[in-house]
Amino acid sequence: MKRQLRLLRLLGTELPVVAILGFALLPWIWMMLSSFRPDSELTHSPITLIPSQLTLVHHIELLQRTSFIWNLRDSLVVACGAVALGLGLALPAAYAFSRFRFRGRGALRTGFLVINMFPVVMLILPLFVLMRELGLLDTYVALIAGHATFTLPFAIWLLTSYVDGIPQELDQAAMIDGATRLQTLWLVVLPLALPGVVAVGIYLFITSWNEYLFALMLAGRNVRTVTVALQLFIGENQIQWGLLMAGGTLVALPATILFLFAQRQLVGGLTGGAVKG
Amino acid sequence: MNVSTAQQRRVPSQAWGTKGGGRRSSILRPGATPWLMLAPALAAAAILVLLPVLDTLWMSFHDVILYRPRSRPFAGLANYAWALTDPVFWESLRHSLVWIVCAVSLQFALGFAAALLLNRSFAWRGIARALIVVPWALPSVIIGLIWTWMLDFNLGVLNEIGVRLGLLSASIPWLAQPSTAMAGVLLAIVWQGFPFFAVTLLAGLQAIPGELYEAASIDGAGPFGKFRHITLPGLAGVMATALLLRMIWVANSLDLILVMTNGGPGTATQTLPLHAFLTAWSGGNYGHGAALSVLLTLLLLGVVVAYVWRNRA
Amino acid sequence: MKRRDMLTGATAAIATAPLARPYAQKGVTIRWWYHLDDPKATPNEFIAAFEKENPGIHIEAENIPWGGGGDYDNRLYTSIIAGNGPDTSMVKFNNLARLLEMEALSPLDKWIDAWPGKSDITADLWRLHTAPDGKRYYMPLQYVVLYLYVRLDLLAKHNLTPPTTFDEFLTCAKALTGGEQWGFGMRGGSGGHDSWMPFAFGTGARPVKGGFVSPAALAQNRYFIDLMRTHKVCPPSAPTDGFLQIVNNMKAGRTAMAVHHISTANDMANTFGDAITAVVVPRGPDRSGFATFGDGANAVYAASKNQEAAWRWISWLSTGPNNVLYNKAAGQMTVTTSGAANWTLHPKRFVDATVNSLPIAGVLPNLPQTADFTRVVWPQNTQKALLGEITPDAMMQIFEKLFFS
Repeated sequence: MKRQLRLLRLLGTELPVVAILGFALLPWIWMMLSSFRPDSELTHSPITLIPSQLTLVHHIELLQRTSFIWNLRDSLVVACGAVALGLGLALPAAYAFSRFRFRGRGALRTGFLVINMFPVVMLILPLFVLMRELGLLDTYVALIAGHATFTLPFAIWLLTSYVDGIPQELDQAAMIDGATRLQTLWLVVLPLALPGVVAVGIYLFITSWNEYLFALMLAGRNVRTVTVALQLFIGENQIQWGLLMAGGTLVALPATILFLFAQRQLVGGLTGGAVKG
Repeated sequence: MNVSTAQQRRVPSQAWGTKGGGRRSSILRPGATPWLMLAPALAAAAILVLLPVLDTLWMSFHDVILYRPRSRPFAGLANYAWALTDPVFWESLRHSLVWIVCAVSLQFALGFAAALLLNRSFAWRGIARALIVVPWALPSVIIGLIWTWMLDFNLGVLNEIGVRLGLLSASIPWLAQPSTAMAGVLLAIVWQGFPFFAVTLLAGLQAIPGELYEAASIDGAGPFGKFRHITLPGLAGVMATALLLRMIWVANSLDLILVMTNGGPGTATQTLPLHAFLTAWSGGNYGHGAALSVLLTLLLLGVVVAYVWRNRA
Repeated sequence: MKRRDMLTGATAAIATAPLARPYAQKGVTIRWWYHLDDPKATPNEFIAAFEKENPGIHIEAENIPWGGGGDYDNRLYTSIIAGNGPDTSMVKFNNLARLLEMEALSPLDKWIDAWPGKSDITADLWRLHTAPDGKRYYMPLQYVVLYLYVRLDLLAKHNLTPPTTFDEFLTCAKALTGGEQWGFGMRGGSGGHDSWMPFAFGTGARPVKGGFVSPAALAQNRYFIDLMRTHKVCPPSAPTDGFLQIVNNMKAGRTAMAVHHISTANDMANTFGDAITAVVVPRGPDRSGFATFGDGANAVYAASKNQEAAWRWISWLSTGPNNVLYNKAAGQMTVTTSGAANWTLHPKRFVDATVNSLPIAGVLPNLPQTADFTRVVWPQNTQKALLGEITPDAMMQIFEKLFFS
């Protein structure tokens, strides 16, 4: 019986997961493989799937002769700041949208979303002037504020739908016991909505991590994120392919490692048993 | 999920202490509370997003050329007239529709399947969940370059494997033919975006109480019945929101297409936001770009309004 | 006004103090924006050398991503418009018209005429760098001229020598096409106009008013499009191939000829040794021809408060030995005659091809639309013509209309 169950799980769950992961990871693995190949092998025809020689030169050059490490640090600071600020702004807003019915609610929700429907390239010029007036050009603050605010509507909408999934009876029970709205949010809703918060947090992190336009225009010398750094490997007359492959392989790791820890919060049944008759 | 976890997560009703009677705050009347909770988000959005958006709106009614900063004459509806009478606009719109429908549906299908699978228990589930975000965690420029290279006619690994395995009779210049270019960029964006659905829907699955599944089993429901009557309704809210948001994001995305084909060959993969981007970024005509952006926003707004109106309860 | 600036600055400094780096206070600071292809190469060495010779001037260099030109240009223009532009920066010809419309540049004539290094740059180069209004805003820093790479070993197998006319070119391309190899690695992607112009304007037509639709240009353009559509001497990926693809295809042996320039010469020589060489692009029957001139210059901005110091920096960069040092980092050709005399950075045959192409070197018209032409209008319409969606003649008419309507 147990063996049958094991086989069923293998075929019905683990094998499909391997297939999907294969799709997800093969391009990245190809990139990683390429980063260990010497330049001469990268333009060989017919192409060789298995490298005939391996070299660490691209990684060494990446770490020693470019500013990549500092760029990773800048990206980490900005992304973590954006997550903190974004969640801090979005959680109360999502709670408000979920628990209250007030005049203008629909319009406000739509309004939030509308201002995010504009392509960012059009907003860059006025934003640049604004940041300059505030003296915030080329600082972490500018990027954190920019990233957090521009992901706000999506974060609020997503969090609202997660908070919606938590029965309002719990809020009312807490408030009958004397809690304020904020206390309810912090002590009741937040723990139960943790999977949603994790999902939105990862979304905020990744969006900030991959963002290019703000990082290009609003920062540059003191604050230089990995997206800008990678773009510097793409020149006018040549592309530093080896460095790009090495950098591209490494750049996916922080978010992946972060999610490795964060996904532990994604265990089911959090609301089960919370509302007893 | 074991019983002790459920117990640990149960509402700690003693956390703030009962003060007898307590404050009956806004359960019945919303009052100022929701606005207070929205205030920080509203303030941030008003300063950093609303002002630039209003500026863009202003630009759409003026003749704004980036390198003529001193001359911004009023143009009325001229920019909009230009946009709507330009056949490139309608072509870009058609491409956008194909782009949105194909990208979102494929991302959703793959992401949903992944979420369902990653919700089950197996030994290496943690690693599997972490690894699924790898495509999503890469910057567009890297994704664009790696897929362009893999799809390359001369030196691309996908063509090589395809020919060796007999799936392709000959190498295909994926991004150089109008018939296959859109498929090529769609492949890249589906790869990039399906983890979003996987993570978002996986989180949504956590809120469905395990007892419901147990009760359904006792009632004799099979896996498909459970899916239809428990999973889908339980996930409906998050699913609808995720789809809506993703649709908006995909509709506005241009990074991948920019890197992979620049809208080409010809204009075969040029979508509306890319057309707006190139008009402004390359052509320097921010008035035209703003008008295109406003039109795109109005189109998306129609969809969002329909969604909000349906769910206004 | 000043006090408000100070207060804003102080507030911002306090708010961001742990996050921002302090600026140097002594002497004059010049902000210079540049882009170098190799991220491992930095200007630190020559900045140090310059600062040693010029105490009191501190150079703050910032490497701006190129992004096909669009990223660099938009960052530059936006900063200038917002009043936050650099003192000096690297610029290209297709920035000139737009910068002039923004009234952003300072003419350099009075400094150039008093500059000892002026004679070390040829009159031809000065002529190319003069603006339509007769003034000189650009300081030559580097250049390339496009030539034709050919695989001598493959040509030898068919008893052919490198082509000098367009007829010979077609013969060579056809002979070298077969199996998994194509005679000519055409570049239809963004930036490919550089390798198209030697064909379109190779028999005497010029990119001036009426030039795009002159009979010579139309005929030559048809010849170019036919290379792909009729004679099929180009790989099917040609319409969207960029510089990375045409260089890689040459190196992999998938194509036998390609138009590029000296920055890839070392790479090619390392791959093929003496089997590869470069020649001047094919020319018309009356020895007319067009070799695209790829530019790179520095300019000083009118809003700069330290224009004299900025001039000192860019003139230093364009002086003999310094210019050689710079171009070693950039992988391009020095603009100075003295530096070119003992040029050892690239094998001699490639330098010869570059220098021999100078007499027929030409550029696109210096108009505001030029940048858009190179990034969007040329690729889109050329790709359509290569795929048969529009006729070659229609393509040229669109170009004429863009520039001169």
